[in-house]
Amino acid sequence: MASFLFIRLLRWSVGLMLILFVTYAMMYYGAGDPIRMMFIQGEDFDTEDEAVMRALRAKYGLDEPFLVQFSNYISHLLQGDWGRSIRLQVDRPVLEIVQFRLPISMQLGFAATLIAAVVGVTLGVVAALYHNRWLDRLIITSVLFVTSIPIFVIGPMLLLLLVLILKWIDVPYGWNGLFHIDAALPVAVIAIGPLPGIVRQTRSAMLEVKSQQYITTARAKGVSESRIILRHMLRPVMTPVITTLGLIMIALINGSLFVELIYNIPGFGLLTIEGIRTVDYPIIMAVAVVGTLIIFVSNFLVDMIYPILDPRVRVQ
Amino acid sequence: MSAAKPEAQVARIADDGSIYAGAQRNLWQDAARRFRKNWLAVAGLVVIALFLILALIGPHIAPYDFLEQNIVKAFQGSSAEHLLGVDDLGRDILSRMLHGARTAALVAFFTTIISLVIGVLVGGWAGIRGGRTDEFLMWISDLIQAMPGLLLVILINTTLRRPIINWFDALYEQTRNSFYLNTLWLDYVLVFSALALIGWPGLARLIRGQVLSIGEEDYVLAARALGASERHIMGRHVIPNAMGPLVVAVTAGMGGAILLEASLSFLGIGIQPPNASWGSMLQEGLRYWQIFPHLMLIPAVTIGIVQVAFVFLGDGLNDALDPRRNS
Repeated sequence: MASFLFIRLLRWSVGLMLILFVTYAMMYYGAGDPIRMMFIQGEDFDTEDEAVMRALRAKYGLDEPFLVQFSNYISHLLQGDWGRSIRLQVDRPVLEIVQFRLPISMQLGFAATLIAAVVGVTLGVVAALYHNRWLDRLIITSVLFVTSIPIFVIGPMLLLLLVLILKWIDVPYGWNGLFHIDAALPVAVIAIGPLPGIVRQTRSAMLEVKSQQYITTARAKGVSESRIILRHMLRPVMTPVITTLGLIMIALINGSLFVELIYNIPGFGLLTIEGIRTVDYPIIMAVAVVGTLIIFVSNFLVDMIYPILDPRVRVQ
Repeated sequence: MSAAKPEAQVARIADDGSIYAGAQRNLWQDAARRFRKNWLAVAGLVVIALFLILALIGPHIAPYDFLEQNIVKAFQGSSAEHLLGVDDLGRDILSRMLHGARTAALVAFFTTIISLVIGVLVGGWAGIRGGRTDEFLMWISDLIQAMPGLLLVILINTTLRRPIINWFDALYEQTRNSFYLNTLWLDYVLVFSALALIGWPGLARLIRGQVLSIGEEDYVLAARALGASERHIMGRHVIPNAMGPLVVAVTAGMGGAILLEASLSFLGIGIQPPNASWGSMLQEGLRYWQIFPHLMLIPAVTIGIVQVAFVFLGDGLNDALDPRRNS
């Protein structure tokens, strides 16, 4: 177990370093000089004063050659220093920005996952119970339909429907906490992303479990149908659903990018877009670090939870 | 060419379980039969055919130049002159939508071709060589697939633009060939290559799996035992049997490419103005959604319909091309 963990950690550290290296290289060679862009786009400066620019570059360590810059960044990062924002929120420590932005997206993500899991597992179980009958087809087809519409289409359309036509809510704007009415629409829209995977996994796992002999045994012993579903079926059904956690996380990240942009929520997704638009190196690197860690940690969790849920895996 | 052969008769099982003598059909005829029964998939096919036709002839039947601005008419709704109304700069929305259709179709076509070529090469090579080569190639494709694709595409798109423009400028300085001055189509090339870069791993994995599993099948062993040449085995057994899943994956890939292009343009990163893209039209329209919803609604509904059509077509093909599904 310890060696398994060690190998995993080693692999992921190498993967993380590789991703950070490639990201930094693309920034350095491709995205352009943020200081110069600051002068071109900023209306206050119409002269391109080389001396000022040189001083600014030196301040952020942008005058060093690529490898020096990269190793500086990594060594600072290892000491907990994420650098300072260059353009987005000038001079504010990136760690501080991340600490403010990430919890917002995490709350949205957790709430959305919870909804998607409850709705998805329920729909999947019902579909499997009515296998090949009209209710099964209806569930499969409507989930396929809803989820094939892109988030950036559903988001504005729901806005139009709920605000302009039905007049149920006011225009949601910004972040007023998870339990404010403004958060309802964003959470619902993000929850759509991971739904089809959960429904499909639940349904096929349920179909497999349904014909197992221990279910027949339980039924023969007179166990009630609801108890069979809850006690005997749900656990083996949850196992394959848990394995899609990595995919769920990707769907959440994708969702938060658009949803936070559409509804003006100052979360991590919006930070990503703003960071890229302003070519703010430390922000973009922070996005790469956090994004990669989220993916790795969720895959790690899957590996840890899987043997608990499915004892057969432990034997191997 | 030749006189009609008498059709071979085989025993068939009808839906009600009775056995009857019917014409022998091959995989594709069988698939077409199953496909026609699925009306959602047929509807998807019709929508996509319509979309492709409009993409092809659209710019020629467009009533106005898609760049022509008439600021006096800005925000006008539907009228006889402008069927779908006019956008914030007074451009005819119908004409812009038709050009956007061409953009979407171009992206779908080229992205799929590029990722298919890479996928076939990498997947085929990994499957045939096996061992270390296989492990390395699959590690790379796993790494790419584990990343949120959209972020990767955004990163590639924002970072590769400038170096390529610089490189083209330098080439122009050297050669004085005015070809290198036009950077309008560069957006398209960047979008194609970025999308293909995240598209190929899925296809490579699929092709590798097909190469590995079909090579192990009994019928391939039987053909080999009967002395069939490798070429015959490839042509008659491996490729036809690998085609089904590949067709499904390619359909899904085309829909996915259109979606990603629209996503990128929605985020303001993909196809840049003045080129028309449904994604950027949606994003521009979103600014006025409370007062002039039609600016946002037209591209949104179109993107939605095309995406739903692709998904249902892919789903129908998946069901139709898998013979085991029906038994």
